Amino acid sequence: MASLHAMLIYTLKRLLYVTPVVIGVSIICFLLVHIAPGDPLSAVLPADATQELVDQMRAAYGFDKPLPVQYALWFWKVLHGDLGTSIATGRSVASEVMRAVGNTLILATVATVIGFTFGTFFGFVAGYFRGSPLDKVASLVSVLGVSVPHYWLGMVLVIIFSVELNWLPPTGAGPDGSAAWRPDAEHLRYIILPAITMSVIPMGVIARTVRALVADILDQEFVHALRAKGLREFGVFRHVVTNAAPTALAVMGLQLGYLLGGSILVETVFSWPGTGFLLNAAIFQRDLPLLQGTILVLALFFVALNLTVDVVQTGLDPRIKRT
Amino acid sequence: MQRVWTTIAGIAITALAGNALAQGTLRIGMTAADIPLTTGQTDNGGEGMRFMGYTVYDGLVNWDLSSADKASDIVPGLATSWSVDAADKTRWTFKIRPGVTFHDGSAFRAQSVVWNLEKLLNDKSPQYDPRQSAQGRSRIPAVASYHAIDDATVEIITKIPDATLPYQLAWIMMSSPAQFEKLGRNWDAFARIPSGTGPWKLTAFVPRERAEMAPNTAYWDKRRVPKLDKLVLIPLPEANARIAALRSGQVDWIEAPAPDAVTSLTKAGFIIVTNSYPHNWTWHFSRIPGSLWNDIRVRKAANLAVDRDGMKELMSGLMIPAKGVVPPDHQWFGHPRFNVTYDPAQAKKLLTEAGYGPNKPISTKVLISASGSGQMQPLPMNEFLQQSLAEVGIKVEFEVVEWNTLINIWRAGAKHDNVHGATAINFSYSVQDPFLGLIRHVECDLAAPAGTNWGYYCDPEMDKLLGEIRNAFDPAEQTKLLQKVHEKYVDDALFLMVAHDVNPRAISPKVKGFVQARSWFQDFSPIWMAK
Amino acid sequence: MAAITDIGLDVPRLPAPRVGRGYWAGVGRRLLRDPVAVAAAIVILAIVLAAVFAPWVAPADPYRASMLRRLRPVGDALYPLGSDELGRDMLSRIIYGGRLSLLMGLLPVAFAFIAGSTIGILAGFVGGRVNTAIMRTVDVFFAFPSVLLAIALSGALGAGIINAIASLTVVFTPQVTRIAESVTTQIRTRDYVEAARASGAGPLAIIRVHVLGNVLGPIFVYATSLISVSMILASGLSFLGLGSKPPEPEWGLMLNTLRTAIYVQPMVAALPGVMIFITSISFNLLSDGLRSAMEVK
Repeated sequence: MASLHAMLIYTLKRLLYVTPVVIGVSIICFLLVHIAPGDPLSAVLPADATQELVDQMRAAYGFDKPLPVQYALWFWKVLHGDLGTSIATGRSVASEVMRAVGNTLILATVATVIGFTFGTFFGFVAGYFRGSPLDKVASLVSVLGVSVPHYWLGMVLVIIFSVELNWLPPTGAGPDGSAAWRPDAEHLRYIILPAITMSVIPMGVIARTVRALVADILDQEFVHALRAKGLREFGVFRHVVTNAAPTALAVMGLQLGYLLGGSILVETVFSWPGTGFLLNAAIFQRDLPLLQGTILVLALFFVALNLTVDVVQTGLDPRIKRT
Repeated sequence: MQRVWTTIAGIAITALAGNALAQGTLRIGMTAADIPLTTGQTDNGGEGMRFMGYTVYDGLVNWDLSSADKASDIVPGLATSWSVDAADKTRWTFKIRPGVTFHDGSAFRAQSVVWNLEKLLNDKSPQYDPRQSAQGRSRIPAVASYHAIDDATVEIITKIPDATLPYQLAWIMMSSPAQFEKLGRNWDAFARIPSGTGPWKLTAFVPRERAEMAPNTAYWDKRRVPKLDKLVLIPLPEANARIAALRSGQVDWIEAPAPDAVTSLTKAGFIIVTNSYPHNWTWHFSRIPGSLWNDIRVRKAANLAVDRDGMKELMSGLMIPAKGVVPPDHQWFGHPRFNVTYDPAQAKKLLTEAGYGPNKPISTKVLISASGSGQMQPLPMNEFLQQSLAEVGIKVEFEVVEWNTLINIWRAGAKHDNVHGATAINFSYSVQDPFLGLIRHVECDLAAPAGTNWGYYCDPEMDKLLGEIRNAFDPAEQTKLLQKVHEKYVDDALFLMVAHDVNPRAISPKVKGFVQARSWFQDFSPIWMAK
Repeated sequence: MAAITDIGLDVPRLPAPRVGRGYWAGVGRRLLRDPVAVAAAIVILAIVLAAVFAPWVAPADPYRASMLRRLRPVGDALYPLGSDELGRDMLSRIIYGGRLSLLMGLLPVAFAFIAGSTIGILAGFVGGRVNTAIMRTVDVFFAFPSVLLAIALSGALGAGIINAIASLTVVFTPQVTRIAESVTTQIRTRDYVEAARASGAGPLAIIRVHVLGNVLGPIFVYATSLISVSMILASGLSFLGLGSKPPEPEWGLMLNTLRTAIYVQPMVAALPGVMIFITSISFNLLSDGLRSAMEVK
């Protein structure tokens, strides 16, 4: 474990490093409205807007000013928490996104836990018994995980478990909507199918990573030495776990980040009221302010998550260096 | 079909036979992607009015939704009667129903009507709401001015004599001025705690996810106080999600089930309820200069290229092939000379005459939605049309947008940027009243932003006929004129005439007391849930 | 959706001796002795050939619809794999669909390979400030999860195959760039490169002779692992309505339009998903096989 002092320095260094990235992210989000075909103003207005609304919007967005000035204005507003107003609903983008982020976090966390549990299991088995038929089977399962179109899997699961067997509900976050979400048995029924669907890819990724890690560690010379010295299998096992854990956890953290950002397909199939669902709505309603705001928030979450994983991992094992 | 009707009639009779203690919660899956606007003048088209308009609110004029066998017509709502001045046909007097209160307890008076009209029409008034105005303004083009003569009488002056005014006012919902004041003159706050005069009160609301309503026991029409304990609305725009929700018991009622699922739904014991209603599913052509649809031969060719009976099979029988703009058994159908049928050879001939062919191919873009109130099954139906038109040499590309977006694009007119070069828009229309069904699409003055003549069509002959209709205060005369207008619609092939919907819904057998009216709107008050 | 694993772990270890001709022959031999990789390669070859020769292989016109013959089951007399919601032959549409699906899976990766390698090798070879500037810019794109970036770009640009390919290329290029830079930096510090520099060889010559041969291999292997991700992402875009449009046969779009058919012919509705799955897993297995064949232990 690194010293607190060293950790602090490292964290600050990383924060400094991340700042230009954040600015870059905001620039890309800002430009989204401008790469959309047509007049950027029409992208942020309802099609039947009155002239008054048009003038209001033009002033607010400053579309007649040069691009860098527009960016500065927009960024200034973002720093104050104003992500604009949704064209479709007239509600503030910030409020919509925040509510949705909460829902997606819940789903992504459960999915990551499931994926991590099964992933490490399969990965461990494959790596420990590498070369054997057990390895082949476990590896196959992991490859399956990253190869299946997960939204299709979700549809199939709905047909089997909701429609045919009537065991689980097909859509939504809970019997009273997501606002009343509680971690109880009833809500568990709603989250199982989407979480399983979402966990498939992380499971595959984590399994493959863990397999590689375990195989690597077991290959190392001093493991042979340890065995030669008579260390029992359990000791070796513990050694492998402690060495593999930091990286495996890091990958899990990153997967959580990917799920946060990439939940749109699963949320669409299950009508889960999270950020992915919101993105879908934003795209089809041509609600560019909502699209812009959602993507910005998600990207920033991802950056923050990466940073956290980075710092924690380095804290746990300072030998891992990142340029 | 006969059996379904008898079943419904049987259920209705049982309900009438007395069920004073009926209760239960009805959960409905809508095709809308979000809860319709709750402030009064709702969005999401007909479905919005059905679930968030006539439930929480009333208009001066309401619709009679009590019968499945008769056409639905307007009846007194918050106005007990209305009349037009014999000498000056632009002066209308509406008598206000006494003793009506809003959900918040304040009284409904003539001044409330004025306040609500200001909400839509006067952008200087404190209650002006751009969102509600965008929805409501184009519904009442006839209104010029209005004022309250006293607490119980409102006078409305129209721009020119217009016999269709009551139909127009049926769209205008009355929100509570007192509630608006109480909530700090803020429509966003009002949206969360709305107040109208309707049979239902909105009790809970999670945007994009669900809305809950409870009966308004103080409703002014005692026969329509709801029997249910609770009504829950859930947006499920995706057809599959709706079907899965019904099949798994998550909801008790879904709007517009996918025709492909009908067999499996009936096998599972659900009831498919249908009825004819004044509906038209069409492609509204753009008539701005440069549009390929300006040539009548092209329009007729397109109409002759569609195998409507084939499409009916695609829809598992859940549609009526169009022979005009109103259903063939409608009172305004008349006797058009152009026979709308499937004749691809004739279609090809017309296109060649118009100068198109393998050397000069014809291709265009059409705006469609993926779902929506009245849009039926837009994706497969439009794919079918794409296929049919391709077979006679018209290549069509689609731009798919969300329903509410399509509505906005429709309101903005064919010249707007957002149209992205499309020359037609797939839209479904109510033909419930003369204005909605026929007038608003073709009157020269009603192009955007004044109205919804999306295609900018203008024909002085048509305008003359429409003017005569406005002055026809005698119903029989009005009908004859409307028939002439319809005949012109068909003979000039003004739209791509495709289909009429049959308003299908899939319902759990536990739902009792529902009478499906021949209307875009329905009455949820008589419904109760069996155990 | 991750590009297989965290980048840091994925950087291939290069073989210690210089890569010569014998190396690639060795890789080929090892690959051929791996039954799983060979099987995967055969499957891919079959799908690619079927797609390329579709007009000769497919039994029917993939666009020809027939309302009377909608949603026929798998094994029907006329339609071996059934018919879709508009009565079109599924077998033909699957075969033709391979064209678009493979295209949308392969092209973005190909473009990203070219663009990413160029930028990454440049950054790795030159080093110093230029390297930092380039890699930091690449980092900005890494701040977006792939699915999110693809959807954001597609959503803004609008639906369409070209837009989808463009978005996916933008998504994958940074990933390839990072690998390319990493591998090139490893090579740059090798003895023989230093020696070549010391002996006065020009940078382009060094790159051509010493760097490219060693570096393109691992980058290529990494790129192949992206193909399955690209296919699933592309089909996902079509599934959402952002990729190909009707009536084009493309597996993702077919999954979308066949959704309600699940209640009538579930097997038919599931077919396009099965195809995506088979193709995707084959590319993954082949990529894995290639990687193990290249790692000399």
